[in-house]
Amino acid sequence: MVVQAFKHVPWLASRWAKSHQFVEGRDIPWTPLSKPVAESVIALVTTAGVHLKSQEPFDMDDPDGDPSFREIPSDARKEDLTITHKYYDHSAADRDINVVLPLDRMREFVAGGRIRGVAPVVYGFMGHIHGRHLARLLAESAPEVARRLKSDGADAVVLTPA
Amino acid sequence: MGLVQRAIEAEGIPTVGISILKEVTQKVRPPRTLFLRYPFGHPLGEALNVKQQRTILLEALKALETITEPGTIVEPGYPWRRHRFE
Repeated sequence: MVVQAFKHVPWLASRWAKSHQFVEGRDIPWTPLSKPVAESVIALVTTAGVHLKSQEPFDMDDPDGDPSFREIPSDARKEDLTITHKYYDHSAADRDINVVLPLDRMREFVAGGRIRGVAPVVYGFMGHIHGRHLARLLAESAPEVARRLKSDGADAVVLTPA
Repeated sequence: MGLVQRAIEAEGIPTVGISILKEVTQKVRPPRTLFLRYPFGHPLGEALNVKQQRTILLEALKALETITEPGTIVEPGYPWRRHRFE
């Protein structure tokens, strides 16, 4: 399987990227850090297709992907999480979710005083979004998640891909 | 992922993204990026390698504090499976 080769050969990823079209950004948005990381509540957002087993899986039948998102409590147990994303080999993440969503490492950082806290909700996307669904991601899902992160009290956000 | 990152930053929250695809990051232009030449499915490294995951996440948090120029891509340069993390 092609997806399995991608798991082992780093340069295949850049070859894949060269063969695809991406939205190009012009001006870069910028918000300065309001306080040191050690005093901050950090939120996680991932596009690796993670969600709760109890939630509706991402749509794998639509070739343009699925621009919706899932709210995952940041204190969720690993056994309650799963990944729906057929565009990469997530066998490593199935064994250890921390390779795409480092919740255990974040909790250790709170215990060790490196950060003040983990925001209560992780926002999970399935990062394969193309064509008509890009517009919905840009106009609806992404700004909505941004607003929710704000009301969650996130001081800064770390994003992880597939 | 960079598009979501840009939307969050535009809403007024500082962000850092981990990237394994520099070509894409350079096009999408998110505000702060930690780039690793790792394969798909491994942005934090290998399963059960706690030291590696911790180091990479710490690098991402450090990038939040150290990057001052929008669009900066930080590259710690850890080779895939050939670096011993402490």
